[in-house]
Amino acid sequence: MELREQIIASTREIFTTMVMMDIDVATEVSEEYGRLENTITGVIGLAGTHKGVLAVHIPYAVAFAITGNFLGIELQEINEDVEDAIGEIANMLGGNIKGILSEKGRDIALSLPSTISGSEYDFHSIKGAEKTVIPFNSESGCFFVELQLEV
Amino acid sequence: MEKQEEEMGKNVLLVDDSSTMRKIIGRSLRQAGIDFDNIFEASDGVEALEVLEKEQVDIVLSDINMPNMDGITFLKEKSTRESIKDIPVLMISTETGDDIIGEAKSYGAIGAIKKPFTPDKVNEVLGPLL
Repeated sequence: MELREQIIASTREIFTTMVMMDIDVATEVSEEYGRLENTITGVIGLAGTHKGVLAVHIPYAVAFAITGNFLGIELQEINEDVEDAIGEIANMLGGNIKGILSEKGRDIALSLPSTISGSEYDFHSIKGAEKTVIPFNSESGCFFVELQLEV
Repeated sequence: MEKQEEEMGKNVLLVDDSSTMRKIIGRSLRQAGIDFDNIFEASDGVEALEVLEKEQVDIVLSDINMPNMDGITFLKEKSTRESIKDIPVLMISTETGDDIIGEAKSYGAIGAIKKPFTPDKVNEVLGPLL
C-alpha cells in the first residue's frame, strides 16, 4: 500500500475508533489549502532515518466537534481541552506513520505533539520536502492531514 | 458474575500527558465492563511514581512518549523501588515497534495496547490480567 493510502487508512481508523466521527477523503477539495483561517494545527515531528513533520489542520468547528466527541462536552472556543485533543490526534497519526516508516521503532523518534491556532496563519513546507496533503470531509467540515518528509 | 464481583475493589493508575487520552481510556474501561474502585491519574512518569508510593494501585496503564519522564524511564525507575516494583504495567501508546515494546517488557511491562484502540481491545488485553 502506498504511503498516501496508509495515511488515509490510519486517519479513518483513528476517527472511527476514537473520535466516533465518520470521515471520507474529500476528492472535490484542492490539496492546496492556502492560508489557514480560524484553524488549529496539531504538529508532531519525526527524526532519525526519516525526518519530517506530520500536521493536521482542523477548522475550529471541526475541532470543537472532535473534542466534544472525545470528552462529551460542548465547546465554543479554543481552550486547553481542544489543544490537547487535536495534539492527541496528531500524536496518534504520527505514531501510525512511524509504524509505517519504521521497522522496529528505534530508528525514528517522535516529538511531543504541539498545536498552533489563530484566525489567520500560513503553514510553510520544509525546504525540499516531499509533501503529501490529504483533505477529508466530516459532518462538521473539511480538514487536512499533511506529511512532509525530507528527501 | 462472580468474577466481576471479584474484580471490584481494584484500583488503576492511568499515565498519559494528554488529559483527553486519560478520559478516553477511563471511558473505554467502563465501556469494556471493567470496573475499578478508583481511577488515579498522572501526566508523566514522575507523577506516576509519586502516586504509586502513596496509593494502593493494582495495575498501571501507561503511555510511552511523555515529557519529564517517559514510559520507559518510568518502568526503569519503578523496577528499582522495592515497594512498587511488582505492580504490573500495561503500555498504551502509539509506540508499538518491536524494539520499544521489547525494551518496555525488559523493564517489567506485561503487554501493550496500540493507540487508537477500541473498548473491545482493552477488554481483550486487560481482562485476563485482572
